[in-house]
Amino acid sequence: MGRPIRLGLGVLLSLAWLGLAPLAEGQERPRLTFAELADSIRANFDLTQHIRSYAGREVEIQGFIVPAGPPDLSFFLLSRVSALGNYCCEVPTGQDETVYVFAPRGVTLRYDPLRVYRIRGLFEAGKHVDPTWGVSMFRIRGAQVEEAVGAKIFKVGDTTAPAAKP
Amino acid sequence: MDLRLTDYVLYLVASVLLTRGIKTSFVEGTTDYNLVVGAKGSAAQLVLNVVFRLDSPLPNISMSTYEDLREDRRVEVAVPVAMGDAYRGFRYVATTPAYFATAPWRSRPFAVTAGRFARDDPAGQPGYEAVLGAEVARRTGLGIGDRFYEGEEMAAYPLTVVGILRPRRSADDRAIFLSLPSYWGMNEIARAMTIKPLTAVLIRPRRLADLPGLHRQLNVSAQTQAVFPSAVLLGIFNLLDLAEDVLALILTLVAIVVGLYLFVSMYGATWERRREIATMRALGARRATILRIVLLECGVITASGGAAGLVGGHALAYVGAQVVAGRAGVVADPFALGLLQPAVLGGAVLIGTLAGLLPAVMAYRMEVAEHLAPLS
Repeated sequence: MGRPIRLGLGVLLSLAWLGLAPLAEGQERPRLTFAELADSIRANFDLTQHIRSYAGREVEIQGFIVPAGPPDLSFFLLSRVSALGNYCCEVPTGQDETVYVFAPRGVTLRYDPLRVYRIRGLFEAGKHVDPTWGVSMFRIRGAQVEEAVGAKIFKVGDTTAPAAKP
Repeated sequence: MDLRLTDYVLYLVASVLLTRGIKTSFVEGTTDYNLVVGAKGSAAQLVLNVVFRLDSPLPNISMSTYEDLREDRRVEVAVPVAMGDAYRGFRYVATTPAYFATAPWRSRPFAVTAGRFARDDPAGQPGYEAVLGAEVARRTGLGIGDRFYEGEEMAAYPLTVVGILRPRRSADDRAIFLSLPSYWGMNEIARAMTIKPLTAVLIRPRRLADLPGLHRQLNVSAQTQAVFPSAVLLGIFNLLDLAEDVLALILTLVAIVVGLYLFVSMYGATWERRREIATMRALGARRATILRIVLLECGVITASGGAAGLVGGHALAYVGAQVVAGRAGVVADPFALGLLQPAVLGGAVLIGTLAGLLPAVMAYRMEVAEHLAPLS
């Protein structure tokens, strides 16, 4: 086989791998819901073994961005309820419906308080006290953020979304 | 050097530096508090006025709003703020010592370069002490012990400078801080009020997870609104992004026009020099050498034009930054270095090289005999 043909094949295979790799990753990454997080909280900041088993793994979760940190969104809260819904019937409750999201490089996409975003990153579960951001139960570090078009936010008690069992 | 390219690079660099600088200035100058509580009205006006000392204040809220928030178990720190008039354009900001207190979540602690912080005056006993932001002290020339006021009606209530803050690269540099009793004492209407007025309350919650609930509760109230400062800034950034997108479109079109202009110029210049090129060929220059010479010429013209544009762009950004700082107090860094400079220079050389490609090929393919013929 001539060198140009080998080179062309190599380029084609690389492009195919680049195209398929994110899909393969997406299939393996479990999706957590706020319903699962709320169900996992026990007395004295304890969590169920099920939710703890996701700790240290790449997960995906969808929710509304609450810009409680700096405006570059290097840190923000992810909530089941939008920060802008002043006249909405639902009231945010607290720890069980809030994930602390750390995006070290900040978020470049356009912020909209009424849009649902998909967050992917390393999941941490359990009580943690950060000197700047205080106490939290659920965190996602090294987060990647993208808009979740047509996403549904599951309420507490709703059927949970399909998630890969660890 | 091509002046059209220089102009293009100049405006490109200046606009990018100013837009980015304004954004960075807002990000760096934002508050460490997570929530700003004020009267119903524009959220942007509330944040721009209370955090960045721009725009006019919203109507007052009552001191009882602050007292309720201070007692709320979800609130770690509640700091009352009242925005007053100004001395030589620098706003009076009345608050309590809590505004300057040390806390682990503060990105930059407060410190004084001279004097001390103002005393926490008891209610009804104003001390009329003032702490100046670094920029105020620099621009007004006021020093420790100086007494000042602006307007005849304020002559009876002069403030005494007791401290000067260390520069913070935020709106605090352009503020004159005083105690709430001093602020109320200076104001005829406030003096007569039983429940004293405030402009806003800055909130830091015990747990950030409580913020959405607190935010909602304060917003459904008929008297108050609660605003995430970052949400307002992100809204402003969205508008700036829109302006940037339009600017990028215009600059792309201008880049195409500049590229076409360069192409026409280089084509004309090459055509004019066809006899010289033919002579060089006749004297032994190879076709590839001619190609390289023409391309190199394009590269040098655009690189020098690009470099001049870069220098001019920084100079224009400097002038723009001074104007913006003077009008809005937003300080953009006109000399910020990053990927912009090499990208612009590389882009300029690329445009020039692409524009010179066809003339270079034309020179490469030029027939010697045809162009060495006598002119007459």
